[in-house]
Amino acid sequence: MINGNLKASYAADERVLNNSYKQLFVYGMMAVLACFATFANDYMILIACKMGILLIAVVGVNILTGYTGLISLGHAAFVAIGAYGVTILDNVLMGVVPEGLMFFVIVPLAVAITAIIGIFVGLPSLRVKGLYLAVATLAANFIVIFLIEQDLFAPWTGGMVGVNTPSPNLLGWVLDTNREMFILIAIIAFASLLAAQNLIRTRVGRAFIAIRDRDYSAEILGISLLRYKLTSFALSAAFCGLAGAMFAYFYARILPEQFELDLSLELVAALIVGGMGRTMGPVFGVILIVMMPEVIKVVFAYFTGGDASAARYTAPLQEIAFGLLLVFFLLKEPLGINQITDRILRAANRWPFARG
Amino acid sequence: MGQFVQFAINGLMSGAIYALIAVGIVSVFKATKVVNFAHGYLIMFGAYFYYTFAVIIPGQEWAPAWLASWEPAWLMESREGLPMFSPMGAVLDWAQNLPRILFGIAGALVANAIVGRIIERTLMRPLMGQSVFAMIMITVGLISIMSGAASIIWTADADFVPHIAPNAPIRFEMFGTTIFLFGADLVNMLIALFIFAGIVLMVRYTKSGVAIRATAEDQSTAYSMGISVPKVFSRAWVLASTTGAIAGAILATRNGISPSLGLFGFSVLAIVLMGGLDSYIGVFLAALAVGVMEAMTQWQLGGDWAEIVPYVAVLVVLLIRPHGLFGSKEVERI
Repeated sequence: MINGNLKASYAADERVLNNSYKQLFVYGMMAVLACFATFANDYMILIACKMGILLIAVVGVNILTGYTGLISLGHAAFVAIGAYGVTILDNVLMGVVPEGLMFFVIVPLAVAITAIIGIFVGLPSLRVKGLYLAVATLAANFIVIFLIEQDLFAPWTGGMVGVNTPSPNLLGWVLDTNREMFILIAIIAFASLLAAQNLIRTRVGRAFIAIRDRDYSAEILGISLLRYKLTSFALSAAFCGLAGAMFAYFYARILPEQFELDLSLELVAALIVGGMGRTMGPVFGVILIVMMPEVIKVVFAYFTGGDASAARYTAPLQEIAFGLLLVFFLLKEPLGINQITDRILRAANRWPFARG
Repeated sequence: MGQFVQFAINGLMSGAIYALIAVGIVSVFKATKVVNFAHGYLIMFGAYFYYTFAVIIPGQEWAPAWLASWEPAWLMESREGLPMFSPMGAVLDWAQNLPRILFGIAGALVANAIVGRIIERTLMRPLMGQSVFAMIMITVGLISIMSGAASIIWTADADFVPHIAPNAPIRFEMFGTTIFLFGADLVNMLIALFIFAGIVLMVRYTKSGVAIRATAEDQSTAYSMGISVPKVFSRAWVLASTTGAIAGAILATRNGISPSLGLFGFSVLAIVLMGGLDSYIGVFLAALAVGVMEAMTQWQLGGDWAEIVPYVAVLVVLLIRPHGLFGSKEVERI
């Protein structure tokens, strides 16, 4: 924004929400979400919860791919580790930790475990990048899912048939309806977005961006590639682990096949569609990626009149639309929806003058 | 020892097919610098086209009877009085299916070449000269488009297709144990090796092969030397999709057709990176090595551990040699 952006001190320039429009937007969104939690119907709450969970994970992928410039096609593995971590820890610590405190103990633990595993998965990133890293993370995804499915770990993970997950208990408040879960997920998703926005403002975030722009130049400037690439992996894995924890709490049962390659691709696609390396990118991308299958389902059912034999075409159509969406954005708008909204906002801000 | 030989031979046979799949990825990469994540789905299309032309079309009422089952008098005569499961019987079974096998392979080659061309024209050509990331992600988007399209066109049911070669069992003695092979597998391996060798020779000695190598070396120089780079691109894609069609047909005869055939592409991608993206020899050795390792894992640890062998292998190789066993190192300038 051109006007209303005067900064009289360094402190004002360094704030997370560094102009009044951003502040207004953030407080406004808080109010909207609060209204949504009260007035929306059950179906909308369900969709919003799905979006929230995916959003936390895409914020994580954005840190790695959008800001640090490392491609990963294996982030579903971290979501899986977060989800299974919470479930297993809950079973193991049952009775040791008081139930009201369980959430506050096991979620940070699961996130920490995911971050550590993220560092290990990130190790190849020190020697390879681009395509090689994409395949290395893809391989890691296959291996993690394979290990979860093994009979050897079945007493904890449930193997192929999955495992039932607990409901969160916040100091005695059991969140067993979707609406209550929505409140928790919305708060955490909102906090993750702000945390990501804050991260980019700091020394670490600036180091990430330097690595993205040219890693060798960054190293010459004194940024330790080893340290910051692994930090980036750990942070993005941690966000995905948090998303996984919410995933486990939200659904009654988790299965290994929910965390396969499809989810990894969905995360990356949401990021590309929304806009890489932008804070609001994941938000736009997730909204589009989650809404698209629902819209197709409704429209298709409307045109076929609810014909059961035509219903088998719904899933493939959703798949094709997903691919087309990704291809369309890469060909026509590589910077994502965020670029479109930027253009609109800029035009609105300069109206009635030139739209450049 | 005998068992070891048995599993090693099985591994070599599946390794040869991996090499045939890998040659498509390497050819496209050499010419266009794009790594095709959707190659597995191109193979799946090949398998489904083979199924369409070898099973569905001959089964139609309007199709001529000789296409579904070829029954000349001499063939029926020699079938009389043969015991069940005799090698001669297997050959005669194959001869009966021969028209539809040939029709299926020809149809799969042509149809897949068209698909490859369409992909190159609509998705890859507009992106020429853009970032590698965009090109890779386009092929990732292609995965969803192709797998969705396949399940709309052909339904998701698994089915079986006729073998390409007579499937007579072959037994022989080695180290005191009986080694047991299927004729079709042996012929598949020979087909795969033959095509692989043909492509390597083509790239080395023919004019269009030299054009591919020149484009791989430096696109703009190739342009200024009078090589039509877009033509090289589309040739590489057609090459990849036709070899993919044959690989798909072979895989379909081995495992039956199903949408999960597309997942083969990912393990082969791992093999390609292991061998080095731009080295035919490296990829060939890596494919055979992974094939043998898979067979050994299957023998020692059980069948389901075999499926992660390529992924573990590629992680280990990338950590030690980042550009694969035989890949050339990229020179980066700041």
